[in-house]
Amino acid sequence: MEDARKEEILKNLAEAVVEFEEDTAREWAQIALDEGMDAFEAIMDGLAAGMETVGDLYDRQEYFVPELLMSADALYAGLDILKPHIKQDAVKKMGQVVIGTVQGDVHDIGKNIIKLMFEVGGFDVHDLGRDVPLEKFVEEQLKTDAEIVAMSAMMTTTMVGMKKVIEMIKAKNPKVAIMLGGAPVTQDVAELWGADGYAESAGNAVQEAIKMISQLRKLQEQE
Amino acid sequence: MDENMAKVIFQPSGRRGLVPKGVSVIEASRLLGADIEALCGEKRVCGKCKVRIEEGFFEKYGIASKRSHVSPWQQEEEEKFINAADKEAGYRLGCVTRIEGDLLVFVPEESRAGKQIVSKAARDIQIEHNPAVKLYTITVEKPAFEDPTGDFERICKQLKNRYGLENLKIDLQALRQVPAALRKGDWTVTVSVWMDQEIIRIRPGKFESSYGLAVDIGTTTVAVYFCDLTTMEVIDTVSMMNPQCKYGEDVMSRITYHMMNPDGLEKMSNDIVEALNQLIDEAIQATHPPREKVKKKKGHKGPDKWVEAPQEGKTYLRLSRHDIEDFTIACNTAMHHILLQLDPQHVALAPFPPVIHHSLDIKARDLGIHINPSAYVFILPNEAGFVGADNVGVLIAEAPYQKDEVQLIIDIGTNGELVLGNKEKLISSSCATGPAFEGAQLTFGMRAAPGAIERIKIDPETHEVDYKVIGKDAWRKYSEPSEMKAKGICGSGILDVLAELFKAGVITSSGAFNKKGQKSNRFRKNPETQISEFVLAWAEETSIGKDIVITQKDVRQIQLAKGALYAGCKLMLKRLQVDKPQKVKIAGAFGTHVDREKALIMGLFPDCDIENIVSIGNAAGDGCRAALLNRDKREEANWVSRNVEYIELTIESDFQQEFMEAMQLPHMTDAFPHLKGIVPEYILDQK
Repeated sequence: MEDARKEEILKNLAEAVVEFEEDTAREWAQIALDEGMDAFEAIMDGLAAGMETVGDLYDRQEYFVPELLMSADALYAGLDILKPHIKQDAVKKMGQVVIGTVQGDVHDIGKNIIKLMFEVGGFDVHDLGRDVPLEKFVEEQLKTDAEIVAMSAMMTTTMVGMKKVIEMIKAKNPKVAIMLGGAPVTQDVAELWGADGYAESAGNAVQEAIKMISQLRKLQEQE
Repeated sequence: MDENMAKVIFQPSGRRGLVPKGVSVIEASRLLGADIEALCGEKRVCGKCKVRIEEGFFEKYGIASKRSHVSPWQQEEEEKFINAADKEAGYRLGCVTRIEGDLLVFVPEESRAGKQIVSKAARDIQIEHNPAVKLYTITVEKPAFEDPTGDFERICKQLKNRYGLENLKIDLQALRQVPAALRKGDWTVTVSVWMDQEIIRIRPGKFESSYGLAVDIGTTTVAVYFCDLTTMEVIDTVSMMNPQCKYGEDVMSRITYHMMNPDGLEKMSNDIVEALNQLIDEAIQATHPPREKVKKKKGHKGPDKWVEAPQEGKTYLRLSRHDIEDFTIACNTAMHHILLQLDPQHVALAPFPPVIHHSLDIKARDLGIHINPSAYVFILPNEAGFVGADNVGVLIAEAPYQKDEVQLIIDIGTNGELVLGNKEKLISSSCATGPAFEGAQLTFGMRAAPGAIERIKIDPETHEVDYKVIGKDAWRKYSEPSEMKAKGICGSGILDVLAELFKAGVITSSGAFNKKGQKSNRFRKNPETQISEFVLAWAEETSIGKDIVITQKDVRQIQLAKGALYAGCKLMLKRLQVDKPQKVKIAGAFGTHVDREKALIMGLFPDCDIENIVSIGNAAGDGCRAALLNRDKREEANWVSRNVEYIELTIESDFQQEFMEAMQLPHMTDAFPHLKGIVPEYILDQK
């Protein structure tokens, strides 16, 4: 495939995500396949690159939660078509993440956005949902041997549960990286409780996750 | 002087005293009674508690204040709110900065907790007269050798013969009044009987009046309605800020305060009881003529003399606390639990169960409330963890369960409470509108206090802004800039601003600033943060010396709040399979201020005819008054609290989708035919 044509396809995939056009995303994902483009490349340099732009717009407050979720829908639309065609050797699995909203808390929009970002980033995501009993995080981590445990809380009253999970996990397996997010969580709290990562808000978490995707893409460019 | 203590003076209030070293500036301000705003409950996220640490020796106060007398600058937390120039000038965050030595602290205007304007006035509502406390005047036979029965039994006999009251008990404190009252009244006494069950007061002679208080304890405001139990007249309304605000603005931060501090619950409970007693004092004092102080000759020792200076034409009831014989309370579940010192933490954890639903009758003296010591306090029942006794108050005031028409009742406070239905079925839910509507979290948000912008108009042609501030009748257009003294934006202004920005095309339906259509220099990018903002009041019109703006982030916060409310309404309509409500009622202290047209423009709730939107004011307080004056309403309250079906919205499967769509103005997909002719079509139909 010619470079110019390749650029065009990638650009259209990215734009479909930024403009939250589900149909366009599907259409160009199909074109990419039909014209023999590598599915993984189309995902990472097309759809995921678009999501990166969305993250920037969100950070500048020009996009908001609805736009973010609509972009996600467009991204998933393209992903559904491309995913079955990924050549297994092209994918370098980034790792596994256990994610959930802690016990007592039923707010999960932020968690769902982060989950999406991890998926785009090539992680295997084990989503425990919301109102997750604290022990469940520990069990799931042991069962899957996931490298990252990501927890979210939207209420100050439920946030304290995270501390217990960190203690339980670190006692069993100190190498697991723990990431916290949610409105009431602060950098201080995260550090104090011994978490490894922190995202100030849904927005920041998106940024963090997008940074991870960018890292991933850079790594792959170097290879 | 104790070396563990530091001398601290707050300016301009002049509050001073010794505080233990190591406490934060905010804690010290609390100890010394100088109020500093702590909207976030000291979680270091609101930045409203900026203070300046003064440097130098202040002879007037005999104090050497040094910036080294406080804990070091916390880059991470403080730089977000304090720019380099202010840092240089000694500005710090009150919640972060700990006191290590003597200090003079300047609290700038914008950091002072202002006195809030409360609009919780009582509304004229129909209430049947059947109070829980009733007076009976009886004459009993003198004891004689032929009949030496006890005083109490003599009274009971008469009450049974004349009024059919049986099996009466008597409170010990009331019993102690019996012998003297009978003899002083020459065997004629007036007996106060509570719920036809218990004698709570005996007075010699004939009395025809008794009094009671209906109290609405809001998260932010406490309002007391002083009522005549016989005439049902509201004699007076007194209110104040809930003193628990110092532990945080919303119920969540207060519950967290309890979870993090072993004595937190007791402290908060004592605070509210103290506030209630203050309000009772205030109400009682107003029944006496004001007293004027007459100063004796200079140098003459002895107490100052007081003389009464009654207002002409006014009759003073001259009551005492003992004359208050009944007391009802409506409040949300968290306030309820904190007042009663019931552990509130489970209210804040899914599935949010309260400790108790049922109403309570508690002796006022057991709660430390200073009214008649034998009197009871009636506390309205709770519906659920996030829909409390205050919502039950709204329900018994409005009684939608008696109507055919489907009503949607929205009570907007720090939490939004929704009720939908009619006599067939009634459902309720709550949504986390958060404190955005009350001014917290916004860059220039503030409470409804003098200087707050409460009304805003934006000219669609020029994007020029006209506004009105609390405490000044003339709008900006008819005033000199320097007369405005604007300080921030309060709840009603926040509602106005979103509707006006949208209607004038300053923001698009997605809530983003319109890149192409800006018509004035009010729109700009903040040079420091690079985030878009729109100037509402120029620095010269303010008392804080800087432009009052609404930022893109502020708009987003309001969108979250309004999205939550709209999504709640929509999901409830779906649940009842109703297309649209026949009536929308907006309650809350805030309700009286809402411009219903603007509420519809911003899409606070689904489209409806503007004529069918009504403000019902502080309906929770009205319901509380109904329970005071009509004991049947107390039973009704218990019935309704268990017959309204509570729905947890966030776990509905389509919540996320509905919430997302509702964040747009007025809504992403729902049509608003009733806005035709109010909002230009090219604005309404933009995609």
